[in-house]
Amino acid sequence: MANLKKLYDAVLNGDAKTAVAVTQEAIAEKLDPAVLISDTMIPAMAEVGRLYECEEYFVPELLLAARAMKGSLTLLRPLLAASGTKPTGKVVIGTVKGDLHDIGKNLVASMLEGGGFEVTDLGADVSPDKFVSSVRELKPDLLCLSALLTVTAPSMRTTIEALKQAGLRESVKVMVGGAPVTPEFAREIGADGYSENASQAVVTARQFCHPDKAA
Amino acid sequence: MRLLLIGCGVLLRELSDAIVHSPHLIDVQFLPTGLHDSGLKKMREHIQEATDAAEGKGYNAIALGYALCGTGLADVQARSVPLVLPRAHDCITLLMGSREKYKQYFNANPGTYFRSIGWVERADELQDQVVGLGLEGGLEALIEKYGEDSGRYLYEELMSYEHSYSRLTFISTGLEVDDSFRQKAQVEATEKNWKFDEFAGSTTLFHRLLAGDWNDDFLVVPPHHRIVATYDDQIVGAVAIDEPRK
Repeated sequence: MANLKKLYDAVLNGDAKTAVAVTQEAIAEKLDPAVLISDTMIPAMAEVGRLYECEEYFVPELLLAARAMKGSLTLLRPLLAASGTKPTGKVVIGTVKGDLHDIGKNLVASMLEGGGFEVTDLGADVSPDKFVSSVRELKPDLLCLSALLTVTAPSMRTTIEALKQAGLRESVKVMVGGAPVTPEFAREIGADGYSENASQAVVTARQFCHPDKAA
Repeated sequence: MRLLLIGCGVLLRELSDAIVHSPHLIDVQFLPTGLHDSGLKKMREHIQEATDAAEGKGYNAIALGYALCGTGLADVQARSVPLVLPRAHDCITLLMGSREKYKQYFNANPGTYFRSIGWVERADELQDQVVGLGLEGGLEALIEKYGEDSGRYLYEELMSYEHSYSRLTFISTGLEVDDSFRQKAQVEATEKNWKFDEFAGSTTLFHRLLAGDWNDDFLVVPPHHRIVATYDDQIVGAVAIDEPRK
């Protein structure tokens, strides 16, 4: 029988090979993929986030855990889609116009995926128009904007303005983050949420999608 | 006027030149190069600690040889001595000589990595600071710590920023004693397969910071105020410490 403790540990320890192997076993045994995610993967990634918060884990450990988790999710996703299982929430994420940095944004995207969110990553240097058309098309619950440079942070404001002009601002919650961003700035530009790191981003995102389940 | 300069190690030569040319009495303290790479919170704490230590020593002002640098200066407080700092996004603004020049160059040349004397000669110190990313020992150290497969994966992920850049620009300020700095920058550009460019920068902002020539290009933070990022052309502003946060 598939050893789910082994899967939990594999994600926690960033062991992609084992994570994939145990997931394959679980699929062969027809375990419910939604339960596998909610009872094993999400708790494992939550623990990864906790260890990062208390500085036992650093960026490399986050990246490795995310890779293990993704390896497993790639196998589970088609099954989830087939069974009609709903994700925790739908997220569109990208680094704002003018900014080409994506390590932070990628980490947030991975942690959100690990938290059971369906994530569409638009990449870096994303124009306000592109964000607007993606929100219109994909109807996400959350839009996450990232910036690394002080000089590009104002693009977050421009993007939120573009959403307002397109009449879409009320249809989506907007979260912002990155080195130049402060909670004050987030409030000033009319974002709904801010988080200081990738781990907190999951907690904040969950509050928006399922306020009752926020941990 | 008696000033205390608290400066970033990566700007040591430019700031030293400005000290030499200042009419004022200047004490100086340089903080480790690349403090911002070790986390903005740490950078803020170091700078606050250094400014606090200058209380009661008769300074008319504390000059910060720094740019806003993410939010590295945000929330730093002036106690009883005013702080003065350039209105600059990051040190590239300082080296280029104005925030307008930086913005113009940035918009015209996306994906540019910058180098200057300090960034070239202190490259090793900057590497040492990236502990949060785990890149300090390079590929070998990652493999040793995480194993062959994971180590290689991490190295590729952490170095992926290189693909985001297509140009390396050396900003000269006229303080280069020889051509070696520019040459090293050019070699780095070739190694990374980036286009090499040069920009004729300036020491104007450094000189004015220490000459006390603080017009609109500088922010003077009065006592009992803190630095805030303004996210507009002013870049930084000052608000009273007891003013509630927005």
